[in-house]
Amino acid sequence: MIHATRELAVVAAVAALLASGEAVAQQIRAKAEVTCRPAPDVLEYDCTVTLTNARTRAPLPGVELTIGADMPSMPGAHSVAPVKTAPGAAPGTYQGRLALEMHGDWALSLNLAGPLRDRVVKVLRFEPDSVGEPAARTAPGRRPRH
Amino acid sequence: MDDYLVGVLSNIGVVSFVALSAYLLLLTGAISFGQQAFFAIGAYAAGVATALWGWPLAAALALGAAVSAAAAAAVGLPTLRLHGLYFAVATLAFAEMVRLLFELARYQVEIDGELVGPNGADGFRGIRYIFEHDLGPLQFLALIYGLLAAVLIGFMLMERSRLGVALRMVGEDEVLASLNGIAVARLKILAAGLAGALAGLGGGLYAHLTTYVEPRMFDVMLGVHSLAYGLIGGLGTAFGPLVGVLIDIGLLESIRPLAGYRMIVFGGLVALLLIARPRGLLDEAAVHWLQRAWRPRRRP
Amino acid sequence: MIDFLQNTIDGVMTGASYALLALGFTLIFGVMRRLNLSYGPSIMVGAYLGTLAHLHLAAGPLGVAAVTVAGAVLAGLYVERLCFAPMAAGAGIAAMVSSFAIWMQLEQAAILVLPRHTYPFPPLASATAWLGPFLLRLDQLIMLASALVLALGVQALLYGTRFGLALRAIIGNPTAAHLVGIDVRRATVLAFALASAVGGVAGFLVLASDAQVTPMFGMWATMKGLIAMMIGGLGSIPGALVGGLLLGVVEAQSQWYLGPQLRDLAAYVLLFACLVWRPGGLFGAAPVRDLARGRSL
Repeated sequence: MIHATRELAVVAAVAALLASGEAVAQQIRAKAEVTCRPAPDVLEYDCTVTLTNARTRAPLPGVELTIGADMPSMPGAHSVAPVKTAPGAAPGTYQGRLALEMHGDWALSLNLAGPLRDRVVKVLRFEPDSVGEPAARTAPGRRPRH
Repeated sequence: MDDYLVGVLSNIGVVSFVALSAYLLLLTGAISFGQQAFFAIGAYAAGVATALWGWPLAAALALGAAVSAAAAAAVGLPTLRLHGLYFAVATLAFAEMVRLLFELARYQVEIDGELVGPNGADGFRGIRYIFEHDLGPLQFLALIYGLLAAVLIGFMLMERSRLGVALRMVGEDEVLASLNGIAVARLKILAAGLAGALAGLGGGLYAHLTTYVEPRMFDVMLGVHSLAYGLIGGLGTAFGPLVGVLIDIGLLESIRPLAGYRMIVFGGLVALLLIARPRGLLDEAAVHWLQRAWRPRRRP
Repeated sequence: MIDFLQNTIDGVMTGASYALLALGFTLIFGVMRRLNLSYGPSIMVGAYLGTLAHLHLAAGPLGVAAVTVAGAVLAGLYVERLCFAPMAAGAGIAAMVSSFAIWMQLEQAAILVLPRHTYPFPPLASATAWLGPFLLRLDQLIMLASALVLALGVQALLYGTRFGLALRAIIGNPTAAHLVGIDVRRATVLAFALASAVGGVAGFLVLASDAQVTPMFGMWATMKGLIAMMIGGLGSIPGALVGGLLLGVVEAQSQWYLGPQLRDLAAYVLLFACLVWRPGGLFGAAPVRDLARGRSL
């Protein structure tokens, strides 16, 4: 009998978790701002992420955030193992150090876990001494021929 | 399982669909540089269906596969009489046309104060089905490999059927095949459509895996890679392309310490492998040998 | 009308670079009946070596040109040795995939040596001149002249020398050529080197007129060369020239009238239409016969 109740409790807890998880996820959509700076070592970058609730613009603290990176020009092939971030000074900010494989455009995938599960993707161009918008977007129609 | 490992395995599974798509065409003797187009069409169609229209995932994936199959059959028609490099470049031209059209395509809807939907070269963000429905990475991995297993079983059944024989026959010699009463044109269109559906299904899965697609993911690099997977892994069996993907993505991940030298090592290894085995690791001879070793020897 | 003519002039100029790329490509394909996807990347290796010479040795345009061509030839010979020489007659697709693998290798090597996204490339001659209402650029005129001279040169080589005769024999039937005492291997390597050198010249002229080089150049060169070659007709030297120029003009006109985003689209529509309606290209009577059979590439 005891076993049965415990199993029932587990099932109920899982169901509640699923239901609540669904409810939370449907309510909150995360929005992210990312800024990165070159770190002292080559191909390493220090990134700061600011997470906010897309609708209310309130900061989102207490999220387990990891940052992964892919090169959009080759899906699956060039990807970097996600790094964990640590909460920054201001609420809703997170900091992590990325080690990339080469310079160029990388799609950073910000994976949110913990109370809120979500993923936000940001594309940035990583150069040896700067990080900025991908070239194609800064000057539409004026990119070089190759 | 480690999240990263799950991610890599998911990538391998999804890319296998495009590799199988190119492999299916290769069986009929058609070299396609353009299967990434159907991967893209599937990704966009399935993404739009869940993110913008609120469809369930299964219906969205089916839509992606169906639209891709229709597009592939439509391209198969005018390219029917092209062979070899001519066919390869025609499919490449079509795929680049599709990619450039996606760079122009805009179809966005406001959801929660954010614009969601294909936005030209900026890509299509917010395909958040797996988050909205609390589908964990492991569950999605199981979905990918479940579908992949179904496809592989389909391939194995096909290879044993008259259809499989007919497809390989067309690949060997079209004239001979038609003299043997095979409806070559119909068969080629069918193969193109099936290959398109496979790539489209992979694309739909990919869009939901990454939550984000953009046109330049689907450039010629992906197309040539998917063709290469079959040749690296072997043309003797449908497991060949999978081995190819596993070697490319899996091996690349495991020799991570080599970091910047990865492609140098890998490119060289592939070139040497192809010298030794021009039809890949699991070529027809290897498959035959494996089959004989597998089956218990009959005593006289 | 002035716009249209100016676009045509610009297109012919750009098209000259495509024609040069297609010329090298078509030469390799004509002799070997195989597609060398590493064609552009090996030119890029030459260009990156040229850039190194420019950055570290302060080499001028002529020095950089010499290094670029020499580098392209060396990289081309490496590709030939690894991807084409060891492959049996039936292994055309394997050779092509192998050349793709080496493409990845060459590109990564170039990025390792020069990791930034763009590097300056020494401009050749940025002078411009007005001819009536039309603007002409000196470096582009040089490009057009080079394309014409090299196309005529290759044509003269093929039809006016013993080496050309040997090459045409190989193009016709390699086995028969071997039987009449032609050193097929040696002639093929020489043709490959020549094609890489033509590609190197094309690469140098394109990059000098852009005054910069990026790691995307390899792919760009392979694609533009391939498109121009297919439009003109596989294996045809006049075809390479006309295909390149036509591609350039179509791109220039569509860029002007339809915008930059539709320019590339127009190029691919042209290519697709050419292949579907006239698979042999503008200058090929019928598709190259070996290719009618799916297996050989």
